Amino acid sequence: MELGAFVVVPGGEDLTAIREAQPHDEAAFRNARPPYTSRVPIVGNDVLQSWMDRIRKLGVQSLWLTSGRRDGTVTRAELAAFARQGVERLLVIKLNSYAEMDLTDLLHFHCENGNPATEAHDARGQLGVFLLDQLALRTSGGENGLTLASKDCERKPYQFSGYAKRILAARERQELVGDALTGACAMRPFGKEIGEQVWIGEGVKLASSARIIGPTYIGAHTIVRAGATIGPFASVERDCVVDCGVTVERSTVLPHTYLAPGVLIRDGVVDGGFMEHLVWGTVADLQPAGLGYRLPKCELPSQSPSKTGTNATSQGISSGWNFGSCSAASTPWLQVQL
Amino acid sequence: MLRRIDTVAPGAAVNLLPFPCASCSGRPSQRKGLLSALRVANSPVVVDLSGCPSLNHEDIDLLLECMAQVAGRDIQVIFVAGSPANRVLLEVTRIPSLVPVFNSVKEALDYSGIAIHKEVNDQGMNQSQEFGSA
Repeated sequence: MELGAFVVVPGGEDLTAIREAQPHDEAAFRNARPPYTSRVPIVGNDVLQSWMDRIRKLGVQSLWLTSGRRDGTVTRAELAAFARQGVERLLVIKLNSYAEMDLTDLLHFHCENGNPATEAHDARGQLGVFLLDQLALRTSGGENGLTLASKDCERKPYQFSGYAKRILAARERQELVGDALTGACAMRPFGKEIGEQVWIGEGVKLASSARIIGPTYIGAHTIVRAGATIGPFASVERDCVVDCGVTVERSTVLPHTYLAPGVLIRDGVVDGGFMEHLVWGTVADLQPAGLGYRLPKCELPSQSPSKTGTNATSQGISSGWNFGSCSAASTPWLQVQL
Repeated sequence: MLRRIDTVAPGAAVNLLPFPCASCSGRPSQRKGLLSALRVANSPVVVDLSGCPSLNHEDIDLLLECMAQVAGRDIQVIFVAGSPANRVLLEVTRIPSLVPVFNSVKEALDYSGIAIHKEVNDQGMNQSQEFGSA
């Protein structure tokens, strides 16, 4: 039976950015984009890549990638198109979670139960992973085909008891960062371990007076200036500038962020000029007060002529990807050879 | 502009001062008024940022000036963030490590009332201890 794989990247991300394996497209340099899209790296890792590795283990040679709506909804038309192409069974992954799932086990469960559709759940509910047979692909009705199909799945969902986190929720995202730093999950920080539970990416510039307290991750080409303190349980992703005297504790700073001298980031996720407080759930705009902003492309540390290498390859994201053409002009899909 | 509120402690009072945000019309005069009120205050001062939907760099500047006005004197200044976003911004600037910050005027008054009470009780204790030792 021919098995296809379809990955939906929620948030309407630009497919060009996906094609070029650049989690941040041009629009990402504006603060208007929603925070923590599924392509924003987590301790230097691309969650899409981790799902692709799992799909490859199923023996699937290629997958279809599309940029869906914010909630990752898949329409009936999209599913029907797969059926027309002769796909007999389709694995659909909405890229809104990181789950250390054995997809072979999911496939066995699906075959044994004989349902037209199977959805993976964990203790907290849906994980955005579906297996659909041709019958489900053809009979999904209404505008929102996958949601209707998921009603069938609810009869007998695949209960996943392993490690899973929803990466679009700030708090769970930060929990994943902490688990990756302490070895509580399979994800490991993408960089070199220079001290106990302290990882740095390539091209990082650390001032001699900066304090790095593990567990901590500092992404490629990030600059940490004098007197700054990073950690514990902190992740400063690539291409950030952490100015003098800044403290980052139990927090994540997303790529391309500048933090002004002396600021205190505690229990937060900072994305350019915005900070979401993890305890209070409040989002504050740091930019009018001059406390932080998104670095324009020309000011990125990795754009400096003294640096070597490129973002994508240094993050290990683009290597091994072989992109095909879109399936049809009207459907913005991308075929990725695994 | 300066409002005096009696607290639970007998004889003690708190000055409640609204904070003029950068977008307010007549900000320069309000700013002057706030700073002079802080200079002459002889009891705890609550600076209320409830009227500020968001803080910019000029607002942060003014908050630091407010702190400078009472520095070196035995006057407590308290900030009321007024909104969760302002509270986050104040945390980011580390102001709460220097000045108590509360979410509402009620919380601030409760705190200052308790603080004044404690002060009165502490003085009372000292007196009775002195009497006892005598």
